[in-house]
Amino acid sequence: MKQIVILFVFLSIIFIEKDYNILDINNFWLRIKIINIIFYKGVCMQSHAALEYDYSVAKLFTYTTILFGFLGMLIGTLIAAQLAFPELNYLMGEYGTFSRLRPLHTNIVIYGFTVSGVFATFYYSAQRVLKVSMAESRFLMFVGKLQFVLYVILALAMVASLLMGFSSSKEYAEMEWPLDILTVLVWVLWGVAMFGLIGMRREKSLYISLWYFIACFLGVAMLYLFNNMEVPTYFASGGLGSVMHSVSMYAGTNDALVQWWWGHNAVAFVFTVPIIAMIYYFLPKESGQAIYSYKLSLLSFWGLMFVYLWAGSHHLLWSTVPDWMQSMGSVFSVVLILPSWGSAINMLLTMKGEWNQLTENPLIKFMVLASTFYMLSTLEGPIQAIKSVNAIAHFTDWIPGHVHDGVLGWVAFMVMASLFHMAPRMYKREIYSKKLMEAQFWLQITAVVLYFTSMWIAGITQGMMWRAVDEYGNLMYSFIDTVAVLNPYYTIRALAGVLYLTGFLMFAYNMYKTMTASRKLEAEPQFRSPMA
Amino acid sequence: MFHWLEKNPFFFAVGVFVVIAFAGLIEILPNFAEASRPVVGLKPYTVLELAGKNIYKKDHCIACHSQLIRPFKAETDRYGQYSLSGEYAYDRPFLWGSKRTGPDLHRVGNYRTTDWHENHMWDPKSVVPQSIMPAYKHYFTNIADIETAYAEAVTVKKVFRTPYGDEFKPTKEAWEAHKPSVLAEAKAIVDDMKNKDVKEAVANGQIPEIVALIAYLNRLK
Amino acid sequence: MDIRELQGYASFFMTIFLVVILYSYIIYLYRSEKKGEKDYEKYGNIALDDEIDSPPIERNPKNQSEKKELNK
Repeated sequence: MKQIVILFVFLSIIFIEKDYNILDINNFWLRIKIINIIFYKGVCMQSHAALEYDYSVAKLFTYTTILFGFLGMLIGTLIAAQLAFPELNYLMGEYGTFSRLRPLHTNIVIYGFTVSGVFATFYYSAQRVLKVSMAESRFLMFVGKLQFVLYVILALAMVASLLMGFSSSKEYAEMEWPLDILTVLVWVLWGVAMFGLIGMRREKSLYISLWYFIACFLGVAMLYLFNNMEVPTYFASGGLGSVMHSVSMYAGTNDALVQWWWGHNAVAFVFTVPIIAMIYYFLPKESGQAIYSYKLSLLSFWGLMFVYLWAGSHHLLWSTVPDWMQSMGSVFSVVLILPSWGSAINMLLTMKGEWNQLTENPLIKFMVLASTFYMLSTLEGPIQAIKSVNAIAHFTDWIPGHVHDGVLGWVAFMVMASLFHMAPRMYKREIYSKKLMEAQFWLQITAVVLYFTSMWIAGITQGMMWRAVDEYGNLMYSFIDTVAVLNPYYTIRALAGVLYLTGFLMFAYNMYKTMTASRKLEAEPQFRSPMA
Repeated sequence: MFHWLEKNPFFFAVGVFVVIAFAGLIEILPNFAEASRPVVGLKPYTVLELAGKNIYKKDHCIACHSQLIRPFKAETDRYGQYSLSGEYAYDRPFLWGSKRTGPDLHRVGNYRTTDWHENHMWDPKSVVPQSIMPAYKHYFTNIADIETAYAEAVTVKKVFRTPYGDEFKPTKEAWEAHKPSVLAEAKAIVDDMKNKDVKEAVANGQIPEIVALIAYLNRLK
Repeated sequence: MDIRELQGYASFFMTIFLVVILYSYIIYLYRSEKKGEKDYEKYGNIALDDEIDSPPIERNPKNQSEKKELNK
């Protein structure tokens, strides 16, 4: 159709005058020029009008981020409350005990909420920093959507199977082997979409966020494959027993090593690396300030990549893994402060000279707070990895306290801020309520502070009581004494959970209203997200 | 050279991979041959114990209980001899746990009895009044999956050469032939128990989960 | 030489190697900027100016001939 119109225009311009003399060279060239301009402009403008960033896949993952965020935090709050009020264990018969729900909480929050958030922000920001649209390739569009469908199937299967008790009982790798295979498939599809987009790019250099996304893809792929090597017993035994059951390829101490090589680096490549990718894109974009030092961001990238992997064995201090490995883990954990703080300081300095935005724009507040919590937890981690501190801290509530500094303060804050930033651009509407956002911010920050302070106290109390001896060298407390003493802290923690969950519901409501009822925008906002 | 890497996504990815794989290559892999040797006298789990271990896995006991006694006086006083690497040689997966909401269980078989576990699983508060552990009453009615445990024993014998006897074969007949010995082991435990339903089930040739779990916990020494 | 020793040497030399690379990278980054060959900070603008029709900081050539032209 387009071609016919163009041909018509072309012919009409050349032959529009009756007394047109084809041999009049000057006149001829002039007309060709006019045609050229019209033709070129027409095509360019048409293709540009049609060529827009396509957020359909990003939108899909936004929905799952919100859904799984709510579900994961709901279960988290429930199990926190179960420790303070044990009667809550009997809400769902055998499916409602703390032990059955705890892996469900961790898996939904990691693989449901965070990973969805990573995919959503990737499909949003990768297009933009590469200056290509998903709409330019039907194949990649198909891959993206297929990945989403498989991902949802996987996530639902994960929830169902863990609830039913199919678990390999390796922390953060609980999924049984059929689900592991599906995970690999989803991950490979993400890789195809990632490198497919990169292959089509108009911008030659890869922006730092993409470096981090690539590292997330490769790191998780390698570690996940190694850690989930398992033999399905049904096939090895000639068809006996349950199909779902498998045994780990590694035994005892080796299994512990591989597991915590994974467990620690799941923190690195799911909770750190892609979240840094988010903040390096969304903070500059929202504030209108380029990264403080691009060179520093590159250096801390390589530093982080190299150092993070070594630190895994700090989860196994004082265990039966070789001493040199424990020391290595300990030392590298401290070294890890450097690249972590390199990134964190870089993020904070990005706001240099623009700190007034912190009072004006709640989104900036979310992001600055997130990087502050990143600094806090990357300092706290190395402290816990010092052998003598670890002797007290390990096995206590200080560890979940530390994890939640990171995930509530850094990961969830950054994911929510990213989605808030994306919403006006994806739905072409302004953010529904600035006030609600402010209220959410203060509610959740209170929750995080309550959470980690109560767990600090609980952890250190318990750690000290376990080792307390009287004047004759006998243990002073029976184990149950050290449990009973924690009740007030568990209650505070449960309260913190309720507050954070309420904040998340406010976020979900705000997002829902933004998608459906907010004022429409005519043009895409350049930097600061508009909010009512 | 550096700038070239930044513009070539493929080689960039290779570079990233080398840097992150390096630690594993040096730190993790070479240790494998050494750490998997069992201590002298260590026997592989019986089928009933394996079934109990699978219940331990299924219900994620590691969420609150560790199986790792660290070499501190406070820990050896409380739980017994500190743990040795070779004691875990047949643990696939390892079940060290990372949190002690409840006490360590690596040597729980030394100081708790069948009778104690039976009362505790039915109602933890009946033996430890301040306990916050939930009751696991469904263990007394749910039937343990012994066949899967047998399949696991056969698998680890075949794939990892775990020293099980020659009678462990990957066939239905071998499994049928092995069943009576599992039942006999269960009966020995049930003799120390008082729950009537459990006794009845075992008399009928079925093994409730609680029996398998107690077999496993008693084995932890 | 047993595996432990090998492990030690491998770890030592690989670490030295990577440290040398990291430091030469730092030197390269700052020297190339000082000499005016390469301005790394401009890549920070990729995030700021990310409209689909805004000109790329560095254009990615679509084919071989264009590549040659850009390299001139």
